[in-house]
Amino acid sequence: MRRMQLLMIVVGLAGVIGAFFAFSAPPDATQRQYALIMHIHVPSAFLAFVAFGVTALGSIMWRITRKRRWDRAAAASAEIGVIFTGVALLTGMIWGRPVWGRAWDWGDARMSTTALMFFVYLGYLALRRAIPDPGVRAARASILGIIAVVQVPLVYFSVNLWRTLHQPHTLRIEGSPIHPAMLRALLINLATFTVIYVALLAARLRLSGLEEQAEAATIELAGAAVQPPWLTGATDV
Amino acid sequence: VKFWRQVLTVLGRDLVVERRASEALTVTLPFGVVALMAVPLAVGLDLPLISRIGFPVYWATTLLFGMTIALRQTDGPSQRDLLALLGVDPAARLIGRALSAGILLAVYMTITAIATVLLYSPEPVSGWPRLIPLGLLYAAGLALLTAMAGEVTAGLGSRSALAPLLVAPLAVPLLIAASQAQESMARGKGILIWTLLMVAADLVLVIIGVLVARPLEEAGR
Repeated sequence: MRRMQLLMIVVGLAGVIGAFFAFSAPPDATQRQYALIMHIHVPSAFLAFVAFGVTALGSIMWRITRKRRWDRAAAASAEIGVIFTGVALLTGMIWGRPVWGRAWDWGDARMSTTALMFFVYLGYLALRRAIPDPGVRAARASILGIIAVVQVPLVYFSVNLWRTLHQPHTLRIEGSPIHPAMLRALLINLATFTVIYVALLAARLRLSGLEEQAEAATIELAGAAVQPPWLTGATDV
Repeated sequence: VKFWRQVLTVLGRDLVVERRASEALTVTLPFGVVALMAVPLAVGLDLPLISRIGFPVYWATTLLFGMTIALRQTDGPSQRDLLALLGVDPAARLIGRALSAGILLAVYMTITAIATVLLYSPEPVSGWPRLIPLGLLYAAGLALLTAMAGEVTAGLGSRSALAPLLVAPLAVPLLIAASQAQESMARGKGILIWTLLMVAADLVLVIIGVLVARPLEEAGR
């Protein structure tokens, strides 16, 4: 518990530092204050990719080791990834409305592929919820977790593969096209969101462990012949 | 040879089950035609618009109703266990199921294409027979994808809603390729790039299907 409280304090501090640098960065020449939303949009999108990568890694490790903790990590990371993808889509639409003149552009490859990725991982979470048996759930979800990650590079490189409305990558190895102060603020917010991701992952993993303990305790109390009501009728196998 | 004999046996079994149950052609097909009729009724008497949206609506309804066809229940858990005990290769079972779904989808697509032409009066497309192989590739891709989703969701109470949720976003490249090819032909352009995209997507799906068939079968137990 103390560790979680400490982590939350770190998250709070990181949030304050991130907000400070975002607001103190010079305003964009054309986008003015609307550019501020990029300090949420870009890190959310990037952390969503990381989260789905961790889901794939957890799925692969579960298939190799069959240890429950890898499945829990895959599930927890997918949940956070879906939240980050939702935030990235929403903030992108809020920004796009005044800057592009429209919240959604059907011709844009990045927006469309991100939305598809969002729905695939919603399906992944729905699949997990539909299977009450932890072993079967892990076995089936791990396959989808590995296949679904194929979309991540497709979404990431979509701005280079199809030159549509969305701008190319801002963070590049050969040098960023934005002002150094803006870049610094963006990188600090990226670090802030990484701290938030780690904290959420740790909290969700702890919660998953507690859920499993509670589930096991209920089954034990009810006896082997009696199943808790939420476990019955979920499958016809 | 043994593999393909198993594929053909599963394919034959699925088609016999369909002939007896007649789910795809007497339930899903009429429902698909009703969906094709519902869109112009919602649009109103804007005939040029109806004519323009005919084929896009056709491809979208094919995606949605095609999933229903491919997800029809042809075997229960006991049949799956029996096939596994008999030593039927999981990949052969998956390919066989996908082939039977693909054949039914091709029949569905042919009939609903005629219904689309009659209901929407779209602009005639010169050289339209060139779209037939593309339609077959579309059916094959959708059938493969749905067969895999069917295995992932086998035995689940929410299967009928869950499997389409998994398939629909992943099938979008097929939908885009099919509708864009048709659009390109209408403008007098070639469709080679879209056909190649569809072939590539189908090949990727076959490879994934063969690779994940055994883990999927193990996960279903």
